[in-house]
Amino acid sequence: MSTQLLIPRLEMSMTEADLVEWLVADGAAVNEGDPIYTIEMAKATQDIPAPASGTLKHIAATGQTYEVGTLIGEIS
Amino acid sequence: MQDVQTNLAIDPAVLTNIYRQMARIRATDKAIQAGLSSGRFFFTYWPMTGQEAIPAIISQLVTPRDYMVTTYRGIHDQVAKGVNLFKLFAEAMGRIDGVNKGKGGAPHISDPGSGSMLTTAIVGAGAPIANGLAIAAQARGEDRVTIVNFGDGATSIGAVHEAMNLAGVWKLPVIFLCQNNQIAEYTFIPDYTASPDFAGRAAGYGFKGVKLDSRDPIAFYNGMKQVIADIRAGKGPIFVEAITQRFGPHAGIGDSKDISKEALAQAKAEWPVTRTRNLLLETGTLTEAQLTEIDDAATAEVEDAIVRALACKITPVEETLIDVYADPTVPPQRGVYPVRAEETAPTGETKTMLMAEAVGDAQRIALLKDPGVFLLGEDIGDPPGGVFMTSRGLEKEFGKKRVRPTPIAEQAIIGAGTGAAIAGMRPIAEIMFNDFAGVCMDQIFNHAAKQRYMSGAATHVPLTIRMIVGGGLGGTGAQHSQSLEAWLLHTPGLKVVYPSTPFDAKGLLLSCIFDEDPCVHLEPMALLRSLKGEVPVDDYRIPLGVAKIRRPGTDITLVTYGWQVAQCLKAAEELEKDGISAEIIDLRSLVPLDYHRVLDSVKKTRRALVVHAATEFCGFGAEIAVTINEELFTTLKAPASRFGADFAPIAYSREIETNQIPNAGSIAARVRKIVKG
Repeated sequence: MSTQLLIPRLEMSMTEADLVEWLVADGAAVNEGDPIYTIEMAKATQDIPAPASGTLKHIAATGQTYEVGTLIGEIS
Repeated sequence: MQDVQTNLAIDPAVLTNIYRQMARIRATDKAIQAGLSSGRFFFTYWPMTGQEAIPAIISQLVTPRDYMVTTYRGIHDQVAKGVNLFKLFAEAMGRIDGVNKGKGGAPHISDPGSGSMLTTAIVGAGAPIANGLAIAAQARGEDRVTIVNFGDGATSIGAVHEAMNLAGVWKLPVIFLCQNNQIAEYTFIPDYTASPDFAGRAAGYGFKGVKLDSRDPIAFYNGMKQVIADIRAGKGPIFVEAITQRFGPHAGIGDSKDISKEALAQAKAEWPVTRTRNLLLETGTLTEAQLTEIDDAATAEVEDAIVRALACKITPVEETLIDVYADPTVPPQRGVYPVRAEETAPTGETKTMLMAEAVGDAQRIALLKDPGVFLLGEDIGDPPGGVFMTSRGLEKEFGKKRVRPTPIAEQAIIGAGTGAAIAGMRPIAEIMFNDFAGVCMDQIFNHAAKQRYMSGAATHVPLTIRMIVGGGLGGTGAQHSQSLEAWLLHTPGLKVVYPSTPFDAKGLLLSCIFDEDPCVHLEPMALLRSLKGEVPVDDYRIPLGVAKIRRPGTDITLVTYGWQVAQCLKAAEELEKDGISAEIIDLRSLVPLDYHRVLDSVKKTRRALVVHAATEFCGFGAEIAVTINEELFTTLKAPASRFGADFAPIAYSREIETNQIPNAGSIAARVRKIVKG
């Protein structure tokens, strides 16, 4: 079973976020709770932990702005 | 468990149960964070990671009978208190099957079945309300403990200080549980206080404060055990500073960026969840397999809750006006004008009473009738029996437990009333002048008014708030003479009444006291000790939402209430001389509002003017006038209008005050203009 990674809504005011960096390489293994990517919203950056363990697949490119709910990756 | 180490200062079975609760909290936190980061669901989350031990330990010392109040960061408190996880998740996701029908959400959980009575998103506001729950327990002779949780940030806000002072003076069975996670939202302790010894503050209010470190679960358990035993023994309130460390951000997921890496690493090393787990393992209380079983059971319970919650329906729009009040016909709605039956005129003995005496008489009858009724407010004891003597003699007759003079602390008063009302009592809270409403507006409009709605009717607040309103005596100035009903009327959930006679004051107040929703009884200063009338001595009720024609007429309807009724009646006499026949309708109750009788009157007279003592601009008159214009546009001979006070503070100068508020002369002049075009 794979777990989709969508841009989360982390604050009440949040509608979109910049995907700043993938902290784990495409195709690498991650453990639940490890920081896997960094987003920036309203001038604050936040590392997002892995919601599951498995192999990370990057879907979205860094350096772009995505709406909350956009599919950016997958852990399988 | 026969081989376990025996020198632990805790029963191993209790420690196991503490860990079981920690595991449930941990599983809930992890699932929320995973759900948010994977986009499985969306809601705003204020993580409590790091603080799990506090409620997990307390859960072994309380039962669902004990009351809890907490904050938006209190998901750990809810889980440990026993809120059903499916209903908790459904609530957080805004679903109809949530514990509060999806109307309160994660920051506003109320679940009386588990003792989780109220959750506030206003920092520190729970403390005055917890006092009210404790008053109810104390008054009923119960040994329930009330625990109000808040963060260290809340120690800076007035509500907490007012609440601590009141709890001290009344020796209430309440624990002020400060979960000191070292950071107030985004601001650290040295930046927001020069007095970081929070436990030490309790001494300033005349009661005990203790500092307990939740990172040492066994010491924390034993400390809390003593605290709770003292509370149950009636030794008065205790402030507990529970030392902890939040790992996460103020809102969101993951680790906090505001806490230094070193501090975070240290906090994680001292994390009581891991410590408790290791302790159980090292002492041979549980095996790794048994601990894993506990963890897995918690994870499964949470996953089941989430799957079921996600399958529930989002709370639909049809629910919008349900639970604002017990009666869904109370919220004003365009085009819906319910017809409410008039009161039957009471028969029997009457007595000539001042309005103030009629108010006192209503309270006396309520005190006699229902042991859940009690009065609280500034200076309501004897003497003076209230600054306008509206409770004269009641403390002498009923004693200090039922007629409670309070500190000068309006937030403490309204909060105590709200809490006691949630526990099923019928408090009557007086805040003296309505000008003081600003001091306690948060308690009125964010808590008392909204609690039924936010809890999806799991709780309600049968509280009556009495306030003196308006000036008219001259010389009471800009802070003791205002007419602030519009503030209250703008708040869904409140009922507001405004009598113009002693007869109505008694009958409306009794209806308010026995109503299931919070009611504000506005008592006009100009009339309280100057207007006398015949008042039945027995109990009688004037239904809320029924207006009364005070004078029939044919040319114009004057819609008014309170002390302006007399001014309108005087104006009508003058107008009669000019051949203008004015009908006067006294609203008596502002919400629920009797649009039915107002519109019926205007259909007949075809002209209308709403008159009130409150500021005209953005006042209640504009609301009523526009409804009349919308409903009766083709019938009207002139547009309905409104007449209120000039846009200025009430002046000390008698000459200005008399003229800035509508009076018989200026009302008559406006009417002549309208009628003669």
